[in-house]
Amino acid sequence: MAEITFEGVTKVFAGNVTAVDHLDLHVADGEFMVLVGPSGCGKTTALRMLAGLEEISSGTLSIGGRVVNHVLPKDRDVAMVFQNYALYPHMSVAQNMGFALKIRGESKDEITRKVAEAASILRLSEYLDRRPKALSGGQRQRVAMGRAIVRSPRAFLMDEPLSNLDAQLRVEMRVEIARIQRLLGVATLYVTHDQIEAMTMGDRVAVMRGGKLQQVAPPQELYDRPANEFVAGFMGSPPMNLLRVRTAPAEGRLALAVGAQRLELPRAYEASHELPTDADCELVLGVRPEDIEVVDEAGSGPTLRTRVERREALGAEILVHLALVEAGAPSSVAYDEDVAITRPSVLVARMAPQARVGVGDVLNVRLNEERLHFFDALSGVSLARGTA
Amino acid sequence: MSRDTVDVAETDTSVERRVRARRAGRGALFVVMLGVAVVMLYPFWVMIVDSLKSENQFLAGHGFSWSSWRTLSSTIPVLQEVISSTIICAVSILLILAVGLPAGFAFAKLKFRASGVIFLGIVSAMMVPLQAILMPEFVNITRLGLTGGYTGAVLVYAALGTPFSVFLFATYFRGVPDELIEAGIVDGLGYVGALWRLIVPIAIPAIATVTVLQFIQIWDDLLVGLLFIQNTSERPITVGLAVLAAGRTTSIPALMAGSLLSALPAMIVYLVFQRYLVKGLTMGIDR
Repeated sequence: MAEITFEGVTKVFAGNVTAVDHLDLHVADGEFMVLVGPSGCGKTTALRMLAGLEEISSGTLSIGGRVVNHVLPKDRDVAMVFQNYALYPHMSVAQNMGFALKIRGESKDEITRKVAEAASILRLSEYLDRRPKALSGGQRQRVAMGRAIVRSPRAFLMDEPLSNLDAQLRVEMRVEIARIQRLLGVATLYVTHDQIEAMTMGDRVAVMRGGKLQQVAPPQELYDRPANEFVAGFMGSPPMNLLRVRTAPAEGRLALAVGAQRLELPRAYEASHELPTDADCELVLGVRPEDIEVVDEAGSGPTLRTRVERREALGAEILVHLALVEAGAPSSVAYDEDVAITRPSVLVARMAPQARVGVGDVLNVRLNEERLHFFDALSGVSLARGTA
Repeated sequence: MSRDTVDVAETDTSVERRVRARRAGRGALFVVMLGVAVVMLYPFWVMIVDSLKSENQFLAGHGFSWSSWRTLSSTIPVLQEVISSTIICAVSILLILAVGLPAGFAFAKLKFRASGVIFLGIVSAMMVPLQAILMPEFVNITRLGLTGGYTGAVLVYAALGTPFSVFLFATYFRGVPDELIEAGIVDGLGYVGALWRLIVPIAIPAIATVTVLQFIQIWDDLLVGLLFIQNTSERPITVGLAVLAAGRTTSIPALMAGSLLSALPAMIVYLVFQRYLVKGLTMGIDR
């Protein structure tokens, strides 16, 4: 067991493509760290560098205090679970699981004992004689896990291990992997593009984009206090609504121009955020879908007048797409290519299924004034004090 | 009748028509394959029947006798020649596999400078016919003093068979996911270990394909054996039969017995490995 440290780790591929750019990340002993981001963000490359399957261009990578930049994969004592499991097709489940131990030269009895132990943790005991071909997707996934845990490695590396499973099995295995990791207490770096996996499994979550680390925090903190627009838009489903707005202070009170509408803000934000005090400064306002509620009449708190454009019933909740009414000056959702939400001046609100809203209705919605987010219009960095 | 019912009825007849057409197609195919089988098997039948006749019985067209087999074994050292052929085949194929497997693995899975060009060079060597390089090859082997026994012939066969095996293995290994090798490497293997313990076991169909095709080619070859093996005691069976046909006997039944004897091993090897052979040759198609 050991901690993992990336210090300024960079990977530049042939053709000058920077896949990972000065990554600083510390995974504590026993910690479950999820590395999340859209495809091509460098998360898998980071993992492969840790495994030793990819050379490090610059920076220092250490496992348990030992720098492993030039250590061969077999001497790093890490176990990896691959996306497509990579089970050895010509070996039985038991042989697959015991293979690393056999290479290490452990005795037959010892291997049998460890494999049996891992199999019972993973509920695989009755399949030990089968070949991978004769197993279901979920069972194969468990064998891949088993191959990793029998070795009692210093770290687990998992590369999207659940992405080949169907939705229901994925939920089960999510719980299962988290359970096993806690049981064994081995430092784990888990790569995924699925933000639900990131939220539910990780002790902490590291969000990456374009080879750069965006934010590392416990899941709830990531959700509540995103460091920038990207993290705000990436975590949460549906993502945070991001509106391009302008400051419009009047009579010493904070207010924003959202299209042609005016949005009054509580004074508390002056202390908690570094908001521009001048008029007509552009910034990005973020509101989570669950922080929007319908009110009868423009009353207290920040309210906007909207028209229902679309209604998606999900059973337990409905998602209501709201367009700003009288959106004179085009205010638009600021974000972006990766999360693919370029819907001008549309807010998505999460409501109870009982909510009586129909397409075309004009609604006054109030934004939860305690849970607003502000980002710099240019850099996308959060304006909250004490983040980033 | 409503429109729906008409549609359903029409679909029914079209399905029936298709089923009937498929059956007719199968029947025709069966007849054609039967014809092919007869054409292929008839020579064997003739070989077997005629080898079991004396010369007089052969001319008369009926009868049964082992005399032609006795003639064969007394004219040429049949057993010795079959053993020679076996040794030549086995050693050549081992060499081909020993070179082809790692080379194919390297071309498929390792990144190195100019690998594409080198691969192309090796593969284009497949196009060079034996006859075109026979004379220079003979000169080379003679200079090395290897024209007496098996060695020269084995080297020539190995050199001729290796490009194809490299090509086949490289193609086969490209279909093996990288993760499999990476998993092995993380588990503690080096590249050699990964090749030997992970890749070779799953490359059995490809190995079988190379073995069968090379076996048939080398076993049936006359030219190399005739030129490069000059010790009569190390002559392969094909050379023996050629000598037999060239004048030691004109007995057709004895020739038939010899031909049958030399054809059998190749057939047996093919029949044993054919299951893998199909797999090896069609690999990549179902993926």
